[in-house]
Amino acid sequence: MKGIYILADYPDKKTFEKELTYAMNSNIDFIEIGIPFNDPVADGPTIAKAANEIAERGYDLLSIIDLIGELKKKKVYLMTYSNIIYKFGVKKFSDIAKGIVDGLILADLPNRGHNFFYKLGLEVDIINFLTPESRDNAIKKLVNAEGDFIYFIGVRGITGGEVDFNNSELRSKYISIKKEIDKKVILGFGVKTKADTKTIMEYADGFVIGTEIVKRQNNYKEFKKYIDEIFTT
Amino acid sequence: MKGFFGEFGGQFVAETLMPALDQLEETFEKLKEDEEFNKKLSYYMNSYAGRPTPIYYAENISRKYNTTLLIKREDLLHTGAHKINNTIGQGLITKFMGKKRIIAETGAGQHGVATATIAALLGLDCTIYMGKTDAERQETNVRRMKLLGAEVKVVDEGSKTLKDAVSSALRDWITNVENTHYIIGSALGPHPFPTIVAHFQSVIGRESRQFFIENKESFPDYVIACVGGGSNSIGIFKGFLDIDTVNLIGVEAGGRSSKIGDHAMSINHGEKGIFQGSLSYVVQNSIGQIANVHSISAGLDYAGIGPEHAYLHSIGRVKYDSVNDDEAMEGFYLMTKYEGILPALESSHAVGYFLKHHKNFQGKKVLLLLSGRGDKDMGIVNEYEKEKGIL
Ligand SMILES: Cc1ncc(COP(=O)(O)O)c(C=O)c1O
Repeated sequence: MKGIYILADYPDKKTFEKELTYAMNSNIDFIEIGIPFNDPVADGPTIAKAANEIAERGYDLLSIIDLIGELKKKKVYLMTYSNIIYKFGVKKFSDIAKGIVDGLILADLPNRGHNFFYKLGLEVDIINFLTPESRDNAIKKLVNAEGDFIYFIGVRGITGGEVDFNNSELRSKYISIKKEIDKKVILGFGVKTKADTKTIMEYADGFVIGTEIVKRQNNYKEFKKYIDEIFTT
Repeated sequence: MKGFFGEFGGQFVAETLMPALDQLEETFEKLKEDEEFNKKLSYYMNSYAGRPTPIYYAENISRKYNTTLLIKREDLLHTGAHKINNTIGQGLITKFMGKKRIIAETGAGQHGVATATIAALLGLDCTIYMGKTDAERQETNVRRMKLLGAEVKVVDEGSKTLKDAVSSALRDWITNVENTHYIIGSALGPHPFPTIVAHFQSVIGRESRQFFIENKESFPDYVIACVGGGSNSIGIFKGFLDIDTVNLIGVEAGGRSSKIGDHAMSINHGEKGIFQGSLSYVVQNSIGQIANVHSISAGLDYAGIGPEHAYLHSIGRVKYDSVNDDEAMEGFYLMTKYEGILPALESSHAVGYFLKHHKNFQGKKVLLLLSGRGDKDMGIVNEYEKEKGIL
């Protein structure tokens, strides 16, 4: 499962639509669409700056979901922060997103907080996280977890950092997780190059690229070139 | 999810932080009952920070307004504000956890200074995050932190104030959680922080309550405190929550006006929202983006408020009101000229509230919490006077 993270409405609606269309027609398996929030604590400078810009300008979540519905050819996950969904209205969001969105990723919601949103009427699966710090009991809890995959944050840190995907600590943590869990486990945070993706695919189910995509979103040509380079085999 | 006060609170943070929050909770639960820990805590609180702080009968103001105004003097503490109650407590927790580094956010610089002070005392590495706007308007405190050996990272992102300092501190913590403890400076953030900070600040309320008992006096009719994130106020409120006859009043920063961007009134002009770790009241726009806020006092310049306050508001136990920049300045002048006490601009909001409503307090007993001293605010006061043509 190879995926990208792309920030909604960035750098502007039209370019975003073009790029999303391109991604939908590429070799990518899934797309995470970032809904901007102006306090993105889990994001590094690249995504944070872009998200701040769009958040300040304002956007319409409804029309973003509509657009996804129109263009959809792949699995799509919305990635954002709790307050965006909470403020929009959890039930209202759920009713609109249910048939279109395959899952919700909330960067500031730990696994044990999912029920907070389900109780408010959310019927879209929330994707679970694991990290290098996750303790055994936290991993075991996810054996029958909801969601299409588990998001493994390979680094202690935020998006856009430097990660060596060959390092043995990371590999062995990944392998120990897979011993417990049958579900797909996707590596995210810090994936940059074709070489990274090759290394990851030696031992993992998949990856998602974020910062490197967002960096290229304001240049359609560069965006296409990068997608072609990473996702053609 | 743990840590709710009614419907407010919780742990809205990245999964990466959960082991650290669990560890912190376990350690805190153990230590707060631990004899050795509490002995150390009171030792530093008393001999280092200067506790207990006095309660002063403000004779001139009382006479002027025909009331009994008592002032709890947290401004007399080492480093000049109540913030050190929390940093001593959390500094000791850090030592017990075996972590070597502390980080903190700061708005006015008071919490940053209190954290840097404790780092120097306990031999811990220290990094302080401060928004660029705040670093500029509270320059002396930046200098103090550096002298104390702390690294000050100026945050030039977003609104360049407290919100962005908290986010940067959280990012640092996510990255360095193994060897670093984050000393959050107010009763906010994810569980267990609101509870921990309230625990260490509740010494203010305990001492105050004791004052009335020891002097065989009736309890006050009103307790007034300013509310930024809500740590000084929750500290004093804790001493009186169970006494129904004591009216508790939290004063938010009304800023320039009640237009979004002009104030920091989370309860009076915010809505329920999830911000920096907990569900509470947040100043935000229609699509859930956190609003820019303003207050003449950097320490109240924050879009959120601790979740326990949201709860106390929801059950009607505490009344949350506000005063604007000018009213706070009037409070500042009153306290300075009539009592010879220069209050911090944060604390001046509590004084401003007293002044604005002094008619209600005739013949009553009022306990006002002076959370800090105003030396740090000379630059802002100068600016204010220039703008108003007073200088
Ligand atoms: C003197 C003083 N009072 C009050 C505050 C506001 O914080 P809190 O509401 O947590 O007490 C600050 C914050 O910097 C402060 O320095």
